[in-house]
Amino acid sequence: MTRTHPHNSWYALATSEEVGREPLGRRALERGVVLFRTAGGTAVALEDRDAHRPYPLSLGWLDGDTIVSGYSGFTYDAAGQCVSVPTQNEVPVGARVRAFPVHDDGVFVWAWLGDPALAALRPPVALPWLKDPAWVTIGDTWETAADLSLLHENFADITHVAVVDPFIAPPVLRSSPPPLEVEVTETTVTFSRSYEKAPISAWQAELAGLDPDAVHVQRERGAFVSPGLWIDSWDVEVEGGGVPRVMTFRFSHAVTPIAAGRTRHAWRVSRNFSLGEQASKGLQPIFTDYYRRVQSILETMQRVIDIDGPRREVNVSADAAALQVRKIIRNMVADETGSSIRRPGRAPAGRG
Amino acid sequence: MTTTKTIVREHEADLVVQQAQIVADGVVSLTLADPTGQALPPWTPGAHVDLILDDGLTRQYSLCSSPGQPGSWRVGVLRTPDSRGGSERVHTALPTGATVRVRGPRNHFPLISSPKYLFIAGGIGITPMLPMIAEAEASGAEWSLLYGGRERASMAFLDELEQYGHKVTINPQNEMGQLDLASVLGAPRPDTLVYCCGPEGLLGAVEGFCQDWPPGALHLERFSAKPKDEAEDANSSFELVLERSGLTLQVPPDRTVLDVIRGAGVSVLASCMEGVCGTCETEVIDGEVDHRDSVLNDEEKASNEFMMVCVSRCKSPCLTLDI
Repeated sequence: MTRTHPHNSWYALATSEEVGREPLGRRALERGVVLFRTAGGTAVALEDRDAHRPYPLSLGWLDGDTIVSGYSGFTYDAAGQCVSVPTQNEVPVGARVRAFPVHDDGVFVWAWLGDPALAALRPPVALPWLKDPAWVTIGDTWETAADLSLLHENFADITHVAVVDPFIAPPVLRSSPPPLEVEVTETTVTFSRSYEKAPISAWQAELAGLDPDAVHVQRERGAFVSPGLWIDSWDVEVEGGGVPRVMTFRFSHAVTPIAAGRTRHAWRVSRNFSLGEQASKGLQPIFTDYYRRVQSILETMQRVIDIDGPRREVNVSADAAALQVRKIIRNMVADETGSSIRRPGRAPAGRG
Repeated sequence: MTTTKTIVREHEADLVVQQAQIVADGVVSLTLADPTGQALPPWTPGAHVDLILDDGLTRQYSLCSSPGQPGSWRVGVLRTPDSRGGSERVHTALPTGATVRVRGPRNHFPLISSPKYLFIAGGIGITPMLPMIAEAEASGAEWSLLYGGRERASMAFLDELEQYGHKVTINPQNEMGQLDLASVLGAPRPDTLVYCCGPEGLLGAVEGFCQDWPPGALHLERFSAKPKDEAEDANSSFELVLERSGLTLQVPPDRTVLDVIRGAGVSVLASCMEGVCGTCETEVIDGEVDHRDSVLNDEEKASNEFMMVCVSRCKSPCLTLDI
């Protein structure tokens, strides 16, 4: 089976809070990973399979900084080295499980499950607004039964929001959009649009205590940062009043391929205005409803691909960012899998 | 109905020269950084950037620092008597503290995963090899580097290569003669990828030796267009269909595909205009492409799925592109 997602990338496996002094089993990139913290608080990611028998280490327990298999009693240190077995004094030579490079930024625990040597050569990107007290964040995490690329292509074009969820969509999305500017580098894609003054959504005006008929300059900016991370912003310029001059919603999507056709999606919506808890309670169902709709649509698309196969698609100019993202992901997979043709054909990512 | 105007461009920024240092005879190393200290875009070994000099003069240089250090980029520039004086300008007009417009990075010389590598560098062609061998070494791949130059004093970054010991063969021509390509390339090795960057004479020789190697084994980086073997067939005119834009255009013999696309007001990426940099790579939907670039390898050309619209044309009467 041809794989369609890169392995050499930082992917979020859990939130920092979820990883503690109990083993946590997660699946990502076609493998099981067990996460835990040492007594000193350092996050550890190991292959979630006892070297002795095919039993997940996540079903065992911690003993100091080591993890003990719940079946064989084989004990592994934080580097994955087997340090003791119950039935003999000698530790079997070479008994170990893979340890993965980990980056714990205090919000997510990211792991590098690809070529371990490259982890240090591909620095992770910081998401400071998720911890900054000037911002308040809501969000959720779930699994979407669709390929990683379908999620990225959804993030890369927000013009569909007006179709999918007219309630949440800023009114400007229902008019003819201004020019889309797409900026590419070797491994990233950024797009931006600036809108003429227009009203904002009724729910956002209410949230911010603004006149719903007032017009504001609005800007959107989206960035494919890596295969595991997408960041978007929606800025609304506000003149006068006690609120910040620019009200920003910032959307962070940590996406992690579990296997072909299955992706973990952690979405976070941060804002730098109306920071109260009441506002968060109001926003949570609005965004949950929207992202659930997206989930359902992407799962439907995946089913169509699975049943009928990939097909040449009709693209429009608004797809420019999505197509650049597709190209980067395709090239990354080709380079990782040793393909001599870096441009392996035009069939869209399928489960082939 | 109105259409969304879309502008696609490469990342561009004014960077400051943190350090300009002569590292060998005629070679200056420039360390470039964001003036506000922001991280620069990520890249992988083999990537290059455009330095945009005064009067729009643009020259391409491989990044030769580490992708693990996003705070700065480094390029190595050999002073050559090129026709428009690009490298001359870099040497004279970009001292420490100067500002230069930089476009990119992009990568058409990617390091493809392999258990074994053979790196061959001629002169300033050593630059893309530095991050490549660092990565090959970190990954535990088996690799060797053959590095040729006129004389030791003209060969940059020798000090950085010392750490690799016997994996690196330094071959100054005045001491050891020409690179012994026959001994390293004479027998094809199916598990080894060959990466070569250097002057056209070296690239041509390596291409010759690698003819019997498995398809896809050889990876070359050219900074100037490949010399043409024979006079090219006269340009013909053909119809050009831009499917996404819904446009049908005519390409006359005296205009490039890129020129016609842009003339119709459609935004496409392009940079070098001579089929070297790969920026204008475009998906082909239909038509028999007349490939004239130096980027795609033979297999990629044969696949007829991508073309460089700045130089390549069409042999059949109609070319349909995914633009």
